[in-house]
Amino acid sequence: MKNFQANLKRLEATDTQVLGVSMDSAFANHAFAEQIGVSFPLLSDWGGDVTKKYGLYSDQYKAARRVNFLIGKDGLIKEEQVDSAAIDPTKIVDACERPKLKQ
Amino acid sequence: MRRLLGFVLAAVVLTQPFSRVAATEAGSAMPKVGDMAPDFTLKYVDSSGMHDVSLSQYRGKKQVVLAFYVFAFTGG
Repeated sequence: MKNFQANLKRLEATDTQVLGVSMDSAFANHAFAEQIGVSFPLLSDWGGDVTKKYGLYSDQYKAARRVNFLIGKDGLIKEEQVDSAAIDPTKIVDACERPKLKQ
Repeated sequence: MRRLLGFVLAAVVLTQPFSRVAATEAGSAMPKVGDMAPDFTLKYVDSSGMHDVSLSQYRGKKQVVLAFYVFAFTGG
């Protein structure tokens, strides 16, 4: 999440909203956001319904896998980064800055 | 005191099935590039209180980076 915060100015300049999602409670996420200085919403998927809808529920960890999606204004998924590749969001940030994503 | 203990025990017992139910539901496959992103409404808390966010509220207005992470208080 810190990595997105570090790139937030670039992302906001391209009309991009960043949303974090985890299966923590909304209150744990709020504390986490304050601790690491994240200013975008960290959404609480308490119970994991959305995590499962996105096919990201890990039986092994009883939690979400680490995945970043870039979703276009048309609602279609433009880029994905999965697991360890999702720690560095450069690919997503670069994709946001492409002048015109293929619609 | 005994009532309080009972309440705490009930809370522990009641929250247990959560993880078991979750483990038995395989869920759907991860959407691919080019797929429609499934809509959702989730909550978050900030200093002004609790808010709802839906993916659909950004349709036609903003791109969205949706970053799923494992747990709060972990790196990345």
